[in-house]
Amino acid sequence: MKLVAYLATVDRDVCAGCRICSKVCPTLAITIVEKKPVVDAARCVACGNCEQRCESRAITLEKLPAPHVITVAVDDLPREQVDALCIRAGFHPSQIVCFCSNTRAEEVAAAIIKGAHSPEEITLRTGLRSGCSVECIEPALRLLQAYGITPTPPKGGWQWYGLTPTLKEIPEAVKAKYSNHGFCFEEDLKILESVVASERR
Amino acid sequence: MRKVMIPAPARQSQYGVAPQLVTKRVAEFPEMTSLMLSDLFADTPPLIYPSEKGISAIRDATRKALERVDMTMIKPHQSVNICASHHGFTVAGGQPYTEMLKILHDVILERTGCKDIRLRAGVGLRFRETEEYIKRFELDTYFGPKKATGVAPIDEGIPIQTEIGTLYGLKAIYDADWIVHAHNSDVREVHFHRQVDRAVKPFGMSYARIETRSTYHQNLGPRGANFTARCIFASDFVQSKFAFASFLDMSPAGVVGVDADNDLFALNDRITLKGCQYYGKIMTLLGEIDECIAVLDFPCPVPYVFAAGVVYANFVGANTDLFDIESNALPAYTWYSEAFYGKNGPLINGMTPVNPAIRICVHNYAWGGYPSAFFAEHTPTIVVGSEQAESMNRDSQNVEYMKHALIAQSTDAAMHFAYKTAKTDKVIIFDGAVGGLNLSKSLAQLLVARAPAVSRKVDEVLLPKWLRQRGIDPVAALGLAAV
Repeated sequence: MKLVAYLATVDRDVCAGCRICSKVCPTLAITIVEKKPVVDAARCVACGNCEQRCESRAITLEKLPAPHVITVAVDDLPREQVDALCIRAGFHPSQIVCFCSNTRAEEVAAAIIKGAHSPEEITLRTGLRSGCSVECIEPALRLLQAYGITPTPPKGGWQWYGLTPTLKEIPEAVKAKYSNHGFCFEEDLKILESVVASERR
Repeated sequence: MRKVMIPAPARQSQYGVAPQLVTKRVAEFPEMTSLMLSDLFADTPPLIYPSEKGISAIRDATRKALERVDMTMIKPHQSVNICASHHGFTVAGGQPYTEMLKILHDVILERTGCKDIRLRAGVGLRFRETEEYIKRFELDTYFGPKKATGVAPIDEGIPIQTEIGTLYGLKAIYDADWIVHAHNSDVREVHFHRQVDRAVKPFGMSYARIETRSTYHQNLGPRGANFTARCIFASDFVQSKFAFASFLDMSPAGVVGVDADNDLFALNDRITLKGCQYYGKIMTLLGEIDECIAVLDFPCPVPYVFAAGVVYANFVGANTDLFDIESNALPAYTWYSEAFYGKNGPLINGMTPVNPAIRICVHNYAWGGYPSAFFAEHTPTIVVGSEQAESMNRDSQNVEYMKHALIAQSTDAAMHFAYKTAKTDKVIIFDGAVGGLNLSKSLAQLLVARAPAVSRKVDEVLLPKWLRQRGIDPVAALGLAAV
């Protein structure tokens, strides 16, 4: 869930036309028209990526007169369907997967079940990746994969590149090779599995 | 009792309120005093900075450390990226790190004839932070036009094949023939890295793309996460470009020296050992505090403000031994711990609560730019000034922070409220004072009384355990007879 209270706004006179803003926008809210960016206000989640990477400092975040909340209801879906998707992806449904928006795995799962079939659509509906936009790409991709979707990265963009390994996938030989370095692979795997198996909410 | 030390000054940044809005520092209150680390622990190592030699001590130490480094792989027609991280600019005012970077530039030029030397400075979650430092410390002028740039985890990436699969680095970090890893040994986020592969961490963090950083914080577990950096660094791709590393050797009191090596893992063993030695005692001592008001008063995001060289996020977990990686799997604060709080509390048994000694937190001056709602949610927090509250609301990473915090109109009002509510006169101030910490006289008395026993416990019990857990042999790492 995210309260969107700001909107990215471009000063076209200052903009040098580098297009970086469109490559880092997690919702593809920015398109390039006549070499300059145009922000689709309906898709902007105020993450600030464009503002922070703009080489000419042509983008600012302006306060919205009427902030709005983006969120996906979970309770109107069969509980077992949401839970099963989270668990297949290796998450407890109540586990927080985005620390900026406080989004939990179940909300992302619900968004996917309701038709958000790319990281961009998940962000637009839940607010995941609308804060730092750094730490939560893999949960989005893991939940999509668990639903049977392999999304394609936005063409020409830098939004995301792909799935990365999880603890379960670390080869036994690697675990053995580094067994005395303090990585605690097996013990951590037990912790992650105990979280997923928890019946608490 | 000593006079208070001068706190780090407020600083202009897009991540915090304007310095003129920081009208009073908590160290100014008459009941405050200060303690030097050397007052607490007689074995605090001697510093080269701050010292009477000033910044020239860093210059000399860097040149001396580089004498034992092989640079013959770098040819005059090639290019070199000196890779830096934001964190270095926050220690001891930032000048020592800046000086080390400048000397690295100069020595590479002198010894190899290579002229295409760039600075690539990575960040945490504040994508313009190192751009601010590059300008402030005039590194753009020093390195030349377009040679010094900040890089962010959302910038263009490149895949890196590792022994656990594909991870992603930042293209700009690796776009030279050679890379030089310029960092420091301040333990800082020990709640995350647990002093495991500390020297290697930037390869999985400030030099890495979002996919890699998400792997660290979401995929590999609270301790397994630290393998992310090692497997990237050990990859054929990174090894083909790595020339050497140069580190500011830090203690909680300041800069102890400069260490440089072509073998990053050898350097890693040395700083792992010294980090446990130097920081273990003060962290253990801060864990002895029974009750206090914690004051945030430094130009940094909430978890990174520091006192006696220890960041607030570590104090939040100081009720357990953060260096003990076997019996303390999930410290009070890590992103794995935060993730495992369900809607009605912890999802599993045995999770460590936030340090109950922190009765209340006074947020007198600290920045956004890091998701910090956890801290306000788990500890009563009072933020000074509506402008500062609004700056947190405006920050996309902290839209939830003020949901949990109160606002006071002034520092005086905040402290008055804190004293009345917390019912303690013990105050610890995270204001970046170098060499020690500012605190209340009552807390100073407690720390002085407890320090000798803590020192003995670390020397005789904890340090040997910490080193064993990390596979560090002190004799091999430092050539010591015994630790």
